[in-house]
Amino acid sequence: MPALIPKEVEIQRLKKIWLIVIAMGSTAASVEVDNFVDGSLHQTSIRDSAFTPAHWWLYSHFVALPLGWGAVAIYDRRVPILRGPNNSMNTGLKMTILGYLATMFTIGINEMWHFWFVEEIFAVPNHWMFNMGVVVAFMGALAYVVRVYARLVELGAETPGENPYVAEMYKMALEGKLYSRAIP
Amino acid sequence: MTLPKGFGSAGGGGAGSADVERMIGRRVENMTGMITASYIAAWLATFGGTAAGYFFYPWAYPTPSGHYAFIVLTIVEAIGYLFCVKVTQEGSRKRSNGVLAATLGGTAVGTVLIVLFVGH
Repeated sequence: MPALIPKEVEIQRLKKIWLIVIAMGSTAASVEVDNFVDGSLHQTSIRDSAFTPAHWWLYSHFVALPLGWGAVAIYDRRVPILRGPNNSMNTGLKMTILGYLATMFTIGINEMWHFWFVEEIFAVPNHWMFNMGVVVAFMGALAYVVRVYARLVELGAETPGENPYVAEMYKMALEGKLYSRAIP
Repeated sequence: MTLPKGFGSAGGGGAGSADVERMIGRRVENMTGMITASYIAAWLATFGGTAAGYFFYPWAYPTPSGHYAFIVLTIVEAIGYLFCVKVTQEGSRKRSNGVLAATLGGTAVGTVLIVLFVGH
């Protein structure tokens, strides 16, 4: 891929995106911890309420992560290599945002369903869209993050793993040969 | 190389180092102060969150659970902070190991003191 902006500029911009991604990673990891805090809360208080500390923490990531991905989507426009088809948004980012949007729009349906059926069982139909949306979002986010990292490796700003098998995988990925020759 | 409007000399020509600097703006390796301030703010906000449990909801949010959450979160935030500073400075001559050590050491000691003396 030819450089469309000076290499030094591109490295700096990719690293700024990387910083936002690390911050979002810390947020997501903290929410994983909160799963346990939430469990601890529900040992003493069975009822769910939006106004308990464990829930402030749990739900704040629904604000922090969309803001973070929004910041990435805005800043991403300055890195030509990350443009999607027809100069649109990067496909991975598109999937992430669509996945989380699908999840958000399901909240109303979820609440309607729970009016009649109170139990929170993972596989009930009102949760299907949540689960699919989140999986689509995760796949998109992974694709995007790997693309940013692979470009940093390509530009020489990051060093891939020293394990020769991992290094070979990076080489094949950069040549578009890791998964399929038909879908680079 | 085609440059964005307003960069480079008229009629083509490459990017001079001044153009490159102007396109970059603040370099990531010079953002250590901002990243450190964000880390400390996040750590204090974490204490604020668990303090809500210590002082207002001890019946619903037991203090040991809050301390556990505070310790693990401090570790999570410290790892994020360390990664941020290291990613920004790799490949450059800039090093902020002193700032890193002081900040991480300070929050580690602060965490231990809070867990020992707050919320009992």
